[in-house]
Amino acid sequence: MAAPAAEQRHTPRFELGPQRIVQMDGSELVRVGARPGFFQYLRDIWRFRHFLQYDAHARTSSQNNLDSMGRVWMVINPLLQAAVYFFIFGYILETHRDVVNFIGYLIIGVLTFRFIQGAVTSGSNSIAGNQNVVQSFNFPRACLPISATVRELFATVPTFVVMALLVYFIGDYQVGDMERADITLDWKWLMFFPAIFLALLVMTGLGLILARIVAHFNDMKHIIAIGVRLWFYASAVIFSVDRFADRGHDWIITVMHFNPAFCVLDIIRDAWLYDGLGDPFRWLVLGGWAVGALTIGMVIFWRGEETYGRER
Amino acid sequence: MSTPTSSYTPRRANWLTSSPQTSEGLDLDPETFDDGFGFDEIEEIAWDDAPLTQNAPQVVTLDPAQISVVVDNASKIYRIRSSTEHKKNTKRVSRQVQKVLGSGWAEIPALERLSFVVNRGETVGVIGTNGSGKSTLMKLLTGKIRPSTGEVYATSTPIMLGVNAALVRQISGRENIRLGCLAMGLSPKQAAERFDMIVEISGLHDALDMPLKAYSSGMQSRLQFAIATAVDPDILLIDEALNTGDAQFRSRTKKRLDEVRAQAGCVFLVSHSLGTIKQMCTRAIWIEQGRMLADGDPEWVCSQYEEYTDHKSNGRMRSAQIVYDRTLLKLAPVQIEFQEGTRPTKAG
Repeated sequence: MAAPAAEQRHTPRFELGPQRIVQMDGSELVRVGARPGFFQYLRDIWRFRHFLQYDAHARTSSQNNLDSMGRVWMVINPLLQAAVYFFIFGYILETHRDVVNFIGYLIIGVLTFRFIQGAVTSGSNSIAGNQNVVQSFNFPRACLPISATVRELFATVPTFVVMALLVYFIGDYQVGDMERADITLDWKWLMFFPAIFLALLVMTGLGLILARIVAHFNDMKHIIAIGVRLWFYASAVIFSVDRFADRGHDWIITVMHFNPAFCVLDIIRDAWLYDGLGDPFRWLVLGGWAVGALTIGMVIFWRGEETYGRER
Repeated sequence: MSTPTSSYTPRRANWLTSSPQTSEGLDLDPETFDDGFGFDEIEEIAWDDAPLTQNAPQVVTLDPAQISVVVDNASKIYRIRSSTEHKKNTKRVSRQVQKVLGSGWAEIPALERLSFVVNRGETVGVIGTNGSGKSTLMKLLTGKIRPSTGEVYATSTPIMLGVNAALVRQISGRENIRLGCLAMGLSPKQAAERFDMIVEISGLHDALDMPLKAYSSGMQSRLQFAIATAVDPDILLIDEALNTGDAQFRSRTKKRLDEVRAQAGCVFLVSHSLGTIKQMCTRAIWIEQGRMLADGDPEWVCSQYEEYTDHKSNGRMRSAQIVYDRTLLKLAPVQIEFQEGTRPTKAG
């Protein structure tokens, strides 16, 4: 039934009630939905840290609850993926040349990059995909990308355990003409934790930036998917950087050395496979990325705070 | 866009405006002059932009301690993706291009500019037919979306409890209570303290450990209501929460709402139940087709609304239009001015 609406909107105003002008002192009031100052914003996020942690926890535990094998998939899935990569790149394409302990090298690369990829992807979708939460509660919106990244970390813990076991037991296994060196378990393996922590900070920063971009231009999701794929190949996940050294492609090596994902992989491989502590330059680059990405990401995200909750 | 079915234009009999000489000697009320002759004298007068009465506006200064919510000239036009937008394009080539590119932007005017001030201790009922902009107004009040023009100011951020607040469906009611409390900014300790009270209000003792998927919609909205009232909000918005739930739950809600009102905040209540509005509110706002039609005594506003909906449901569009215009004529629009330099900008 058509309302008299359409016509009404265009009729001139005919307000016959007495015009009232209300004067007031607004110093006691606040603007609803206004963006707080940057440091106040950080304090707000800190105030909501329990929410952040509980939200990540609740969603991780309910992630696979429609599969009958439930959380077992968190372990099986990465195993199968590593096997596929080994078959294609180690066996058919033979990218293992010049790499010592190629199986361990590949396992660390594939499984760690899975975490990085998952964190960036879910971080970038966290605002666009959670509109119902954004519109029902008032909390600093940065909680969502941060929570998405933390959730990804929680979900990857079983994968990391599997990764450590695999590397320890079959990392130095020799297939065909692969070179090998003994893998020993010692305290240097602990370098994994600071490396993953720094990686988490980098991912949070990138997630914040991408979340704002995707919230404004949904089309960017496709570009991000391609970008992550490109990043995969630029991080020496399945082959060695040295392959480029003897072909005169020095600029590729330079790019890789400044790539945070490559730094994470390289540090973990050095600690687990080659009994080292990681190149100090890698730590420096990774630390720089962590601080820079987090700061810039936070500022960029904070500046868009008022624009996230809207119909699309 | 719907085509206007009503061709009603406001009319005025000429004896109302013109000088007395035309009606001189005519000692008759034109209304009763029903032989079909006198009505020829009634001419249609085009409405102009200038109000008919140019009275000097009343200037009121409000006590800042009394103010709770100020809506200053707020309007909302949604801009959403629509996959049928290309059909509006009249040029053939560009319509095809648009079709391939997919969804265009559709602009949907949801709320026209409106202003009002709500004082501390008031319970404001918001009524209107479906799609009239009530929920949009509520979203503006809570700051979840920004108005297209104007701003909303308040003493603290209003808290909304509605039937569509987000709860996580996979986890249990117990975990949802905790998650909801944390999402509203309570500390884990406070959340644990309020837990019993929330369970008490929701009345869901037996169903606490079931996943939310197993809850009926009535149980879900009871839970949402209970969670939202846990924070003792200074300004509370209720979106049709009272219509759900049984009599027992309603009496508990009423008790809880009385407590909230007693602590000097203010309450907005969106409802289709005029009985609830008349019973609980001290003031009513009627929003129709995105425009504020009336703002005042709930009895009067509800009676106008009832008349309007009655006409509309019986297909009497012209009568409905008359009620609409008549009510709008009585509206006393408010213009808000802040004293020099006190327009709020800071966040809450």
